[in-house]
Amino acid sequence: MKRIDRRTFLKQLQGMLCVTGASLLFPPGLRAAAKKPDIAVVKGEIESAVQKAVGILGGMGRFVKQGSRVVIKPNMSFASGPERASNTHPLVVRTLAKMCRQSGAGRVLVLDNPLAPAEQCIENSGIGAACRSIDKDMAHTVTDSSRFSEAAIDSGKSLKKTDVMKEVLNADVLIAAPVAKSHSSAGVSLSMKGMMGLISNRRVMHRLDLHESIVDLASLLTPQLTVIDATRVLSTGGPGGPGKVLTPDTIIASTDMVAADAYTVSAFEWYGGRYDPDQIRHIRLAHQRGLGSMDIDRLRIKKASV
Amino acid sequence: MGFRRWAQAACLLIFLLLLAMAGRLVSADLFLRMDPALIGAAALAARTLLWAFAPALIILVSALLFGRIFCGYICPMGTTIDACDACFAPRGRVQNRHPVSPRLKYGILAFMAGAALTGVTFVFWAAPLSLITRFYGTVIYPVIYLAANKAVAVFYPVASGLDLRFLMFAEIPTPKYAVGFFVLLFFAAVFAAVRFAPRFWCRYLCPTGAFLGLMSKKPIIRRRVGPECNQCGLCAEKCSMAAIDPAYPETTRHTECIACRQCAQLCPQEAIRFSAEPAGSPGPAPVSTHRRQFLLSGIAGAGTAAVSLTGLNVVLRGETEKGQVRPPGLIRPPGALPESDFLAACVRCGQCMSACPTNTLQPIWFEAGVLGIFSPAITPRRKYCDPRCTACGRACPTGAIRLLDAAERVWAKTGTAVIYRQKCLAWEYEKSCMVCDEVCPYDALEFEKRPNLPHPVPHVIEDRCSGCGYCEHACPVYNEAAIVVTPMNALRLKPGESYEYAAKSRGFTLQLEPDKADSADAIDARATTPSPDRNGLPPGFDQGR
Repeated sequence: MKRIDRRTFLKQLQGMLCVTGASLLFPPGLRAAAKKPDIAVVKGEIESAVQKAVGILGGMGRFVKQGSRVVIKPNMSFASGPERASNTHPLVVRTLAKMCRQSGAGRVLVLDNPLAPAEQCIENSGIGAACRSIDKDMAHTVTDSSRFSEAAIDSGKSLKKTDVMKEVLNADVLIAAPVAKSHSSAGVSLSMKGMMGLISNRRVMHRLDLHESIVDLASLLTPQLTVIDATRVLSTGGPGGPGKVLTPDTIIASTDMVAADAYTVSAFEWYGGRYDPDQIRHIRLAHQRGLGSMDIDRLRIKKASV
Repeated sequence: MGFRRWAQAACLLIFLLLLAMAGRLVSADLFLRMDPALIGAAALAARTLLWAFAPALIILVSALLFGRIFCGYICPMGTTIDACDACFAPRGRVQNRHPVSPRLKYGILAFMAGAALTGVTFVFWAAPLSLITRFYGTVIYPVIYLAANKAVAVFYPVASGLDLRFLMFAEIPTPKYAVGFFVLLFFAAVFAAVRFAPRFWCRYLCPTGAFLGLMSKKPIIRRRVGPECNQCGLCAEKCSMAAIDPAYPETTRHTECIACRQCAQLCPQEAIRFSAEPAGSPGPAPVSTHRRQFLLSGIAGAGTAAVSLTGLNVVLRGETEKGQVRPPGLIRPPGALPESDFLAACVRCGQCMSACPTNTLQPIWFEAGVLGIFSPAITPRRKYCDPRCTACGRACPTGAIRLLDAAERVWAKTGTAVIYRQKCLAWEYEKSCMVCDEVCPYDALEFEKRPNLPHPVPHVIEDRCSGCGYCEHACPVYNEAAIVVTPMNALRLKPGESYEYAAKSRGFTLQLEPDKADSADAIDARATTPSPDRNGLPPGFDQGR
């Protein structure tokens, strides 16, 4: 073990005292000011519902600063339209992008790695056209391995490293905007499962422990804001459908991706029944590993309609 | 740069653009259809005449009027050789010496024609448009795409910094081909031959040059030398085709002349004109075709063809299946004619392979015998053959692959998938795997629960299988897949016959599943799907904590 001399010790002590002292300067009220709702649930017309939900959390300005580089991650992995509910509704994506712009964001990109014919995904989902009304070149698919770079997941239990889109690693703000849908092997595909669309080799996660590696990935790619599109819910037959589509016309927003996913599981019917969030293993694991909270009974949930 | 160079450059550019558009544009094969030797041999061998062959006829007529202008102005092979010549030609060489006899090319033409008469095509060894299409399509374009993709990747940080979205997200798929290196070596030899003589290929080997030469023994507009000629011999010395006898520069071997008009520009006496009026010059002295040699070459071609027709793998016209030794894994593209007709008509230009959006069409070596070399085959491991795609039929210049409409295309069965149970994850390794079923666009797989196996195991319903190869492509077993497409029950119909009718009359029910999710996410998902009946919970849910 390396010994430290007295001089170094005193210097370090001095530094520590300064930090402790400085923290006392902040009034306790500041911590109280952060007491915004954990989850916002808004029912109604899509555009206003998204605005309202993000507004309840403190507005887009809380996440996006002047010049921020933003990546929005919707589901656009399938070459099907909004009625199928396997992709995020284009209006949800457009509204989020517009709000980012209004908060002064620099570059706003809408990205996914679909592995299905890219053009079909962007166009058939309607997301390409919707985003073009804000910026003609906003929504893109990324598949070429040269556009990914390796990132280590130090706390990973199953997935220790993965190749992440460079644009995501470059971004200041990551917004998850998944559609609420069932998933034949992950149970549900919400914000945590959705992060698999930002990496190069998602196939390997199926060979590893899928739920564990979803949590590993979520610990690396943790969105600052999660907005779940439950305007339509693909209740059966996910991820691709066709399946039973519910239409709760609801937007769920949270800064805690685990909480948003947990609430979504509990709020809707899956395969004709009601289930608790802890019945989805990756939500349960994420909660246990402290990534977020699935105890929706203890969370502040603000509901509204527009 | 004179008119000729501009014309050559423009034609090469159009040729390359059309090649890049192959499969998407109906007339992308225009240049191939202009090659009279290629079209002539294919038509003779396959015994077919199509309106699509008209451009070759126009080129033949043009030779009667203007001589070998196709060679001098249009042919992309000639232009490529000219460009190469400009780079590699030794300095100060004498152009008009013949390292071999210019009659050789007539022998090659006769050889090809003789073979074609017996129904065999050797056209792909020598017809310039077949060679050059293959060269650019399967050698040059893949390299360009690869380099472009790498370049875009290298510039990514710059593009991202400058927010050039087009560059940031540009992804260029790189096709791969099986015989690229051989084609490269072949062309290296063709290009190296310019060390012996300029346009060596065009002078001595090209059957199209020979065919056009036969047509242009005395074209209406031709080289004529006036009385001003003082026999200085400069024109003969510089003629890249050696079409002028140095001893008699006032004469012209019109069969060799490609009407480049270089001599007219060089002549210090301005004695040379290309015109229809006689200028008092003595009669032409064409390179004799030597009828006897020509005939013998033809017989040699027919003989060689006859020998190759007795090859074990060769399917003769009208032969029945019994006793046939057919290549076990050779899957022809959808709409390919019956094998004997197909091989006779196919000129191995590789246009279908350039057109194939999934790069599944690959040239083969000897799987189908010597006569099948370079012909296209589906390679499902590379990628599937999309049952909605008709690009290869649209690209084929000779109708060896029929152009089908979308409804017919679905019925064009290319083979049948077979499961190797001893390799299958579900059958042999007792794992839950349903990838083949998940990807199959025809819903031709059935899963059965066996009492002694833990997971359902697949069966191919052969009447529903079209041989598209989605299953073989996606099968997680490597290197050889556990489900493989074989040519069994492939439909090979003559022009005009209906695939739907033929398929239905054989009891096939080939129907695409509506809205099949073509997504690896769905594939991955299904690969590990737990049994749905477990504890009565929805898939992926568990009991909770």
